Amino acid sequence: MPANLEKGGFSFENHTRNIQLEQRGHKPPKATSTGTTIVGLIYKDGIVLGADTRATEGPIVADKNCEKIHYLAPNMYCCGAGTAADTEFSTNLISSKLELHRLQTGRQARVVTAMTMLKQMLFKYQGHIGAALVLGGYDLNGPQLYTIAPHGSTDKLPYVTMGSGSLAAMAIFENGWKKDMEKEQAIKLVQDAIEAGIFNDLGSGSNVDVTVITKDGVEYLRNYGKPNERGQKENSYKYPKGTTKILTSKVRDLVVVEDMDLS
Amino acid sequence: MFLTRRIQTKDGIVLAVEKRSTSTLLESSSIEKIVEIDTHLGCAMSGLIADSRTMIDHARVECQNHWFTFDEKMKVESVAQSVCDLALRFGESADGEDALMSRPFGIALLIGGIDENGPQLYHADPSGTLTRYDAKAIGSGSEGAQTELQEHFHKSLTLEEAISLSLKVLKAVMEEKISSTNVQVATVTKEGYKVLPEASLVDKIAALA
Amino acid sequence: MEHAFSPYTDNGGTTVAIAGKDFVVVGGDTRQSEGYNINSRYAPKVFALSNGSVLATGGMYADAVTLVKTLGMRLEWYQFQHDKDMSSPALAQMLSTILYGKRFFPYYVWNTLGGLDENGEGAVFSYDPVGNFQKYKYGCGGSASHLIQPFLDNQIGRKHLDTQIDYTIEQVKKIMMDAFTSATERDIYTGDNLEIFIITKDGVTKELHPLKRD
Repeated sequence: MPANLEKGGFSFENHTRNIQLEQRGHKPPKATSTGTTIVGLIYKDGIVLGADTRATEGPIVADKNCEKIHYLAPNMYCCGAGTAADTEFSTNLISSKLELHRLQTGRQARVVTAMTMLKQMLFKYQGHIGAALVLGGYDLNGPQLYTIAPHGSTDKLPYVTMGSGSLAAMAIFENGWKKDMEKEQAIKLVQDAIEAGIFNDLGSGSNVDVTVITKDGVEYLRNYGKPNERGQKENSYKYPKGTTKILTSKVRDLVVVEDMDLS
Repeated sequence: MFLTRRIQTKDGIVLAVEKRSTSTLLESSSIEKIVEIDTHLGCAMSGLIADSRTMIDHARVECQNHWFTFDEKMKVESVAQSVCDLALRFGESADGEDALMSRPFGIALLIGGIDENGPQLYHADPSGTLTRYDAKAIGSGSEGAQTELQEHFHKSLTLEEAISLSLKVLKAVMEEKISSTNVQVATVTKEGYKVLPEASLVDKIAALA
Repeated sequence: MEHAFSPYTDNGGTTVAIAGKDFVVVGGDTRQSEGYNINSRYAPKVFALSNGSVLATGGMYADAVTLVKTLGMRLEWYQFQHDKDMSSPALAQMLSTILYGKRFFPYYVWNTLGGLDENGEGAVFSYDPVGNFQKYKYGCGGSASHLIQPFLDNQIGRKHLDTQIDYTIEQVKKIMMDAFTSATERDIYTGDNLEIFIITKDGVTKELHPLKRD
């Protein structure tokens, strides 16, 4: 196995070359970004996280139903906004580390631990890892909710929003959030906040994913709301077999048969 | 003064003028009193011929500008009207701006052409008045010529009949004897503006009898 | 961070025009956007003009509105000066000269003009911002044009087949609605409503169909 793969982490072997390429006018490849609406809030018994399901590449919708609520640990989930690959890998990496940490300590990992690991990693990379996260979980200290920005700064708040739809979603939270809400109330508010992002932010769209985290476990409600079902098409666009005419045809034998005189 | 006439027929327009010679030394082919404005428009004139340059140039520019802007031929009436609009741009304006021209044009025009409304003939006089005619004579012998036209014009004239009528009217009112060199005839048909060559006039004049 | 003022902005949106034997259907979505924001869910960018032609615009909305105002004025002047309505081909040429007149500070607009030509047949004229134009049987412009154009080539152009179809107005409308519902799925700048204009010798009619709003 090559040495650079054993060490793990990022490979920077093309860094100098890529800078030269950029100076010569080559555009670096553009990553899929999740211009996104993600939210989280604390209610009476725990945490509700929410996310839309649109992934974009510039003006084009790359994925109409992607998952933005990532698993971290049995008691922790994390919504990701920003560069899709960065949110995916950061959460996976921290998820692995949390599992190792649990094995090492023999205790359930705490939410602050996950938050600290994430912020230290993001800070180390000085914002180049474009992950904006909403982290929610329940541990011995009760329900906790954090936002983690790409440069590593964090906030600990009772209700948070992130992504390009964060303003639309926060408008709903500021209007509707109350302390110690019931579960149904909390889920409805999260759904409304995500839908505000879906309808008013062009970077967000399609469906509403919800995750509820309590002392007793996690409810992962994939596509909890589907306010954007595609309508019926007016026509069928199936071409009957034979529509494309065969102009000429030639069959060639791929097996070459040679006779040999074996006498 | 010169005599200018024009007849509108169902097939096209005929413009005919007398080129009166003021001297035996004058080269008659240098007198030009019928001009082309655009492929579908011709103009005959009477009066201060020099003044017509300004008006004809204006008409030609208007036609080209219209074609450039709209990719279509300008209507005969629109061209005639735009020429008439020029006629009033003399003297000082009410705002005290500099005048375009110091005096009115001293020329009357007969503008004939074909557009989507068929062949049409317009008379633009020095006052800027625009009038449409089936047949019109202007210039020194115009009174007699107009009477002749009145008598012989009818709406079903063919182009050939109209040419022949034009020449006949000219012949009747001209002081000189009509010849292929002292008249000029042009037609505007669907095929466009065309000045009749002198050679073809010889026969036509002979045929008047 | 914004460093310098830019006189241009892109307000997104998509337009389609399809000509038939003796009609044209012109449609456009009604979303007006800037960046990730929606300015309006109903800001029509397809305009019926006084001479029976319909102009579909895309690009910068303010420039489009200014252009349409100018066209309206020129159409009125033409009617006064020449005592007739401007024909669609004449309007097509005039639009080109107006656009080229701003060659070095162009109207940031992609125009598609629909109308009946001198023979009463449906015609579509497509433009670039500086006045280059051509007559087509169908065309589209705006943010989802790269998604819709191949669909139109396949369904209307049918260059890959040897049978052409003389579509009816109803058939063309269905193709157009499918083009827009599909474009709405994948282009973030297209959505909210589809406004369709149907041009025949008897005049222009207008319809509004809802599109997805996300």
